[in-house]
Amino acid sequence: MTAPEVTVEEQVLYSSTVTEVGEQVGMFVGDHGILVLFGADSPAELHDFSALHEPTVASAGPRPGDVVELGGTRIPVLAVGAVVEANLVNLGHIDFKANGSGEADMPGDCNLPVGSLVLPQPGDTFRILRPAGPVATPEDAS
Amino acid sequence: MSDYKSVTISAGRGGWGGPLTITPTADKPLIYSVTGGGIHPVAAKIAELTGGEAFDGFKSSAPFDKIAVAVIDCGGTARVGVYPMKKVMTVDVHATSPSGPLASFIKEDIFVSGVGVGDVVEK
Repeated sequence: MTAPEVTVEEQVLYSSTVTEVGEQVGMFVGDHGILVLFGADSPAELHDFSALHEPTVASAGPRPGDVVELGGTRIPVLAVGAVVEANLVNLGHIDFKANGSGEADMPGDCNLPVGSLVLPQPGDTFRILRPAGPVATPEDAS
Repeated sequence: MSDYKSVTISAGRGGWGGPLTITPTADKPLIYSVTGGGIHPVAAKIAELTGGEAFDGFKSSAPFDKIAVAVIDCGGTARVGVYPMKKVMTVDVHATSPSGPLASFIKEDIFVSGVGVGDVVEK
């Protein structure tokens, strides 16, 4: 193990930058506790209510216990529906619902704590992070 | 290509809404696939049976009045409502039911979900 890797605390599963925030995003977040993200290449009819972004890392979707980082705010993931990962990896699409529920009602839901959502701004970083698991610790930390 | 045929699209297992009858026309020829990974097999089947034109919504854009049916792989929040709101017949390949901020637009005569290739049949 000679790789000059520092001790990794979190795995970055997804990393992206918000490029545009649709006119209705504030209403979706404020009135419904829902934040919709789509990749910047999505069809125009989806842009009004979406935060658009351009990913540089798109290796996996979230699972419960992961952290969503949005504009510097860290939010724990409570529940994840069955199609969340495919939509995120393929389309840059995810539906965050700040409903506090530990069960995803709809297959595209990614549930977060009530009141945890922030309104993203262009330039914000959007990442999904997985806390380090109980894996073997690197022996040569230097 | 003036000889379009009709298909009936029914809700699949756990699905909701429909059945919808889809008949493309010369003015509305597009089978509009807004799905990951290109044209979805359900959209391809609809296009094959009707003579409509399969169209990848993530590759280029189309005016709504050209769309005979939109095929989506929506998980239940956004796309399920957008196309019904625009009065576009909508087929979700996932088993969703009306929900999300646009739920009021999702009606049985314009939306059907849980649809697989086998749920698209010639009328």
